[in-house]
Amino acid sequence: MSELRKLTFGYLGLLALLALTVGSSLIDLGGFNVALNLAIAAAKAVLIVMLFMHLTGALPRLAVAAAGLWLVILFWLTLVGR
Amino acid sequence: MSGTESVAFDTPQRERRADTFAMWVFIGSEAMLFGAIFLVFLVAHIDFGPAFAAASKHLSLPLGTFNTAVLITSSFTMALAHMLAVHRRWRAAAWALAATSALGICFLIVKGIEYTKEISDGLAPLLGLPFRYTGPDPVHAEFFFGLYFTMTSLHALHLIGGIIVIAGMIALWPTSTPANRLRRVVALGLYWHFVDIVWVFMFPVLYLINR
Repeated sequence: MSELRKLTFGYLGLLALLALTVGSSLIDLGGFNVALNLAIAAAKAVLIVMLFMHLTGALPRLAVAAAGLWLVILFWLTLVGR
Repeated sequence: MSGTESVAFDTPQRERRADTFAMWVFIGSEAMLFGAIFLVFLVAHIDFGPAFAAASKHLSLPLGTFNTAVLITSSFTMALAHMLAVHRRWRAAAWALAATSALGICFLIVKGIEYTKEISDGLAPLLGLPFRYTGPDPVHAEFFFGLYFTMTSLHALHLIGGIIVIAGMIALWPTSTPANRLRRVVALGLYWHFVDIVWVFMFPVLYLINR
């Protein structure tokens, strides 16, 4: 079952990213630690959404795009106004 | 018999697509809730960075890492339940669901152990408990722990809700039609994976600040 192999690779990838994020936090990279941690978290989220949540079809993608747009507005207007 | 739960749909496929879309809209609204809390944390972190970094070192990195692995594994078993339900292997799918909820309970137990330790160390500024923080800048450290307990307990409540729904689904499993079983696994799976994603962001934000 190739689907099972896909899910297993996704799972192992998530665990590898977890090891990477914990490992990188033990090394001082100056200001890059936070950025790297958030980038790894985003990569994990993309893996979960694409492999586990099967984000397909126009309407689910529209819902995700709408949520993303509002989050960008929320964060952008708050941080730009400071 | 069409096999749908609601009379509003002609076919199970249409009902499942409507469910899936509704779940994604719901997840979008949940993303607003957690997004706003993450934003508060981000702004506070920018303003009180050193205090937050010092306070974060009092959290247990081994337990946090272990719990992240547990939750990722529970997402994997939930994805397995979905795959097995698609292939109509109902008994195996029910076991995968049971494993998912067991892993969720394991996460909550470890979280409980962490909370107990933090409360006994005097790091929980809630419910009138004594706050005995000895590091630098205790005022903003208290703010960090307030946010930590708010974020993690809100996440834990979501997990408890998911576990209750899984229990209900397993209880209804023998009397449900195949179409309804698959529809419920798909909808609950979306919710469970979203709760996992929230933790995937919470873990580095709370536990890994300038270690």
